[in-house]
Amino acid sequence: MDLTQGEALRIEDLHFRYPEENVDTLDGLNLVLGRGETLCIAGASGKGKSLLLRLIAGLDKPDSGAFYYFGEHLPISQHTALEVAHRGVELIFQNGALISNLTVRENISVPLYYHHRGTEVEIERRVNMALDLMRVRDEQEKYPHMLSSGVAKRVAIARAWAMDPRLLLMDEPTAGLDNYNRNTLLPLIDNMQALFKTSMILVTHDLLISRELGADLCFLENKRLSKRMKFEEWLTSDTPVAHEMFRNLRDFQSDFSLS
Amino acid sequence: MKVHRTLDDWTLLGSVFDKIGRRFLSTVFGKQLLLFFSALYSFFAEGRNLRSDLRNIIRQIYFTAVEVFPVLFVVSVLTGTVTIVEALTVMPRVGFSDAFGGLLVVVMVREIGPILTAFLVSGRSGSALTTMIGTMAINSEVDALATLGVNPVRYLVMPALLGGIVSMLLANLLFSVCGICGGFAVAKLLVLASGESLNLNLSWHYISESILLSLTATDFVMSILKPIAFGIIIFINACYHGLNIRRDIRQVPKATSRSVIYSFLFVIVIDVLFSLFYIFDYANQMSRII
Repeated sequence: MDLTQGEALRIEDLHFRYPEENVDTLDGLNLVLGRGETLCIAGASGKGKSLLLRLIAGLDKPDSGAFYYFGEHLPISQHTALEVAHRGVELIFQNGALISNLTVRENISVPLYYHHRGTEVEIERRVNMALDLMRVRDEQEKYPHMLSSGVAKRVAIARAWAMDPRLLLMDEPTAGLDNYNRNTLLPLIDNMQALFKTSMILVTHDLLISRELGADLCFLENKRLSKRMKFEEWLTSDTPVAHEMFRNLRDFQSDFSLS
Repeated sequence: MKVHRTLDDWTLLGSVFDKIGRRFLSTVFGKQLLLFFSALYSFFAEGRNLRSDLRNIIRQIYFTAVEVFPVLFVVSVLTGTVTIVEALTVMPRVGFSDAFGGLLVVVMVREIGPILTAFLVSGRSGSALTTMIGTMAINSEVDALATLGVNPVRYLVMPALLGGIVSMLLANLLFSVCGICGGFAVAKLLVLASGESLNLNLSWHYISESILLSLTATDFVMSILKPIAFGIIIFINACYHGLNIRRDIRQVPKATSRSVIYSFLFVIVIDVLFSLFYIFDYANQMSRII
């Protein structure tokens, strides 16, 4: 078997610079993600975490670098969102980005009809499954402006899931959610990972997510990605970034001697 | 590891053409041309669904041609009235009372009709389209469509373009018909009200005969070609300015006004190019007579 069979995504030596700036925002970034793996990316704001997701989803074109989706090289000249989506990669935006003139149900079903994913009965069944999976069945006739941000985010995930993605990119899945919504959303993401073996990349400020999902965590610093470690390893790690990012959590831990 | 042969490996000659092509496509005109052809292509591309496409196109036609009709009707009737009244009063004085129908045809069918229709449609549907697509782009709904594999050009631009062209054809036809018929009726009323009906030779028989005599085959061809050209300009312009908006909500009104102003400009420019045809046509006829 080919060694790259187990890879969902490989990025080699990625460079990106905004046209109006004269310094690279991302400089020689490398990333390897195995199939079925989950990776959380954290780091200070404005360092290009969301940009990295947009690059992976094909919404922005890198200046140089090689992208391999599921072992298949995608040259930069063909690096568009449609090509990437064709390879089973879905991006969930921070605000959900639901189409505002369609109901929740239509938001999920329109892409399926567009791609002719089966007959009408099959598509409706799939939409119902997606609605049930994310527990938004009751909201199906509402329009996006009537939804709370937590529900909108769940609908966005349901919409992406209905497309049967192989790699799911999430931009701040828990940002702006209260504790209750956050705690109901995380098991849903965990279920998806466990049931459908979807590879996932989560960009987040919420470091605890990686512990709750049992996922690797890495930081975007110095324009590239740091080493990947588990949450607990970071907690005891001695690197500067670990000290900086985990200061509060370490204080918290020493104060209350949490395990 | 599978590596595709990429589009970046060119021979020397190929790279020259590649550079010229890319430079051309990076201009505004090139981008709009590209948008037009990709919208046309997307109608036939994979994933087509005739039923939902037709539904979207018909929705666009309803919005563009049907809902604009009340305004279009008033504008066309009043333009027709003014033209008929002016023609009736001015033409005999300069000794061209025979050219009455010819003037009506030139004004209503050839020139003012298509242009005023284009302005009305651009001001109403073009601006609405730019606002809608621009707002969607700012809320990253266009990006969301693309990441779902739904081609925004196909989903947003294609129905607007095809519906827009059909609506322009319909609206132009309605404008000409309403302008001449409604204009005649109102002009008749005005003449009756002024009590000068005996001095003015205004009968439907006279007008219709004079119009039918001066209508030529080129007028029919032009009244089809012009609305199509104007429709393409208006709707490609509107979609282009909506899709290429900067991520800032204050850009929406700016993009809208820019799209409408540029539509007006390009419509007039293309109209002048069309009138070149009439010059050649005229020269041809003259040389044949001589």
